[in-house]
This record gives sequence, C-alpha cells and structure tokens, in this order.
Amino acid sequence: MNVQFKKGVLDLCVLSMLKESDQYGYELANTLSEIIQISDGTVYPILRKLATDGMVTTYLQESQSGPPRKYYRLTGLGKRTLVSLQQEWLTFSKSVNQIVGGDIQ
Amino acid sequence: MTREEYLAAIRSTLQPLPESEINDICSDFEEHFAVGLSQGKTEHEIAAELGDPAAVAETYLDDELEDIGHTMKESAVHAAAVPAVKAPAISAGRPAEGSTRTAGTEKDLTGARLFVIFFNLLFAWWAALSVFGVIISFWGASAALMGGGIAAFAGLAAAPGAWTAVLVLLGIAGITLAIATGILNFFLSKWTVIGCRAYVKWNKKLYNEGF
Repeated sequence: MNVQFKKGVLDLCVLSMLKESDQYGYELANTLSEIIQISDGTVYPILRKLATDGMVTTYLQESQSGPPRKYYRLTGLGKRTLVSLQQEWLTFSKSVNQIVGGDIQ
Repeated sequence: MTREEYLAAIRSTLQPLPESEINDICSDFEEHFAVGLSQGKTEHEIAAELGDPAAVAETYLDDELEDIGHTMKESAVHAAAVPAVKAPAISAGRPAEGSTRTAGTEKDLTGARLFVIFFNLLFAWWAALSVFGVIISFWGASAALMGGGIAAFAGLAAAPGAWTAVLVLLGIAGITLAIATGILNFFLSKWTVIGCRAYVKWNKKLYNEGF
C-alpha cells in the first residue's frame, strides 16, 4: 500500500484499536498488519511517539505463556485526541471519496 | 535474519540516539521476538514480518528530529558518521541493561572549543580590529568635513568680500558631505554591531554545543 497514504492514518488506527481494550505491542502489530498491508515493525515507532506525546501510557504485565508484556493504555488526552481525529478523518475521507469516486465535476 | 542480527541492525541505525533510548526501543523488539517464538514462529519468520530493520529504525530518528527541531538534525547526522560523538540525552528511558557502550554518550566538545579559541586568536581578532579601524576613520572623515564646513562659515566675517561666495559654497558642501557620510557611517556601524552580536552568539553556541 502507498506509504504516503499510510503515514497520516496509522496513529488514528492505533488509537482506535486501543479504545476498546489495552493491548500489547505484538497483538497490535499483528492485528494491524493483517488488516492494512504494513510490516509489524511499523507499529513500534508509532506507539513510542504516542507515548512521548502523552496519548498512551504503558505498564508491564506477566503472561501465562512467554515473557511479560508491555501494555498500552489510552490516556485522557489520547481519548480526546481520538475523538477529534475520528471526526476529522470521517469528514476528510468522505470528501476524498466524493472526488475520487467522480461525484464532483 | 536471526533475532540477534535484527536487533544489531536496529541498534546500528539508532546510534545517534542516547544509549538509554536505544535500549528502550530494542526491548520492544526483544519482547516482540519473545512473544512470536512462544507462539511457535521462527526467528526468521518474525524478522521478515517486522520488515527492514533500517527502515523501521529510521522512523524513530525522524520522529526524534521532529521533536527536537531542525537544529539537532545536523548533529544527529554527524553523530551517525562518528560513533564517538553522540547527541545529548533527550529522554530518560529504562536504565541501560548490561550495556557495553556506556562510554561516549557525552558529546565531545574539545574540537569545537579549540576551533573557537584559535579561530578568534588567529583570524577574528585581527579582522575585527581592522573593521573597527575603518569605521573609526570614516567617522573621523565625517567630523573633519563638518569642522571644515563650520570653519568656512566662521571665516566669512574675517574674509574679504571676494571670498564670500567661495566660503559659503565650501561651507555648504562641507556640511552636506558631513551629514551624508554621517548617515552612511551610522548604518555601517549599526550593521557592524549586528554582525558582532551574531558572531558572539555563534561562538557561544559552537563553544557550548559543538559543531
């Protein structure tokens, strides 16, 4: 998939995926790379940036199988940002679809 | 690519970042490998799914540069070329775990400081002296023109009638030239002061932060 397309929306995708439940890096990466064609490694820089920007916090949790995992949780700022980004994206993508779909002459 | 190879590749691209941050980032990938292995994947499969380590690592550098701003970009690029020179620590991550590369996290400023000192002693000092000399002599010339003009008017009373016109002309010419050159000198001096300030600022930056 086109790199330029992905760049702006992956933050939004990750935030959206964390909305329902906290997740650890591996499962986020796996789920996301199954839906959108990206490599798993792409997710980690995004998670780190979101943490630096205060959108998510992290905590370690033991697991029955394998090593302890670093979980990511949305912060208040992350939730508010997600709401406004969602709104922006829906409006924006609708407009782009109209143009690309040829509804506007 | 094995787990070790992958992590080494990530590390080498992340070199410009502080050691603690590199360790922090690598621990995410170590976890990723560990979880993948516990689910029955091989190291090679996991590495392939993660994607090109250099490309992944560069994303961290780009993000970092965006955060610190443009000025740091040069030093990061410089640091990538010379492993001993590192960008200052930006964020404290997890403490370094069994680090073999704790030395050299401080940026080496010796070269930049020596350069500042010798550049000023050998070159800048003399350049500044000659520039100041030229400006002072210009002001002197303006003052002389002004003095001459005033003297010409002062001489009017004492001079015989035939010289009146010549003295008036000389007086006007002297004072006009004095004002014109004075204005030029004013701007020249102003620019010199601005230049000096910028130079001092540049010196300080170089001395404290290096190239």
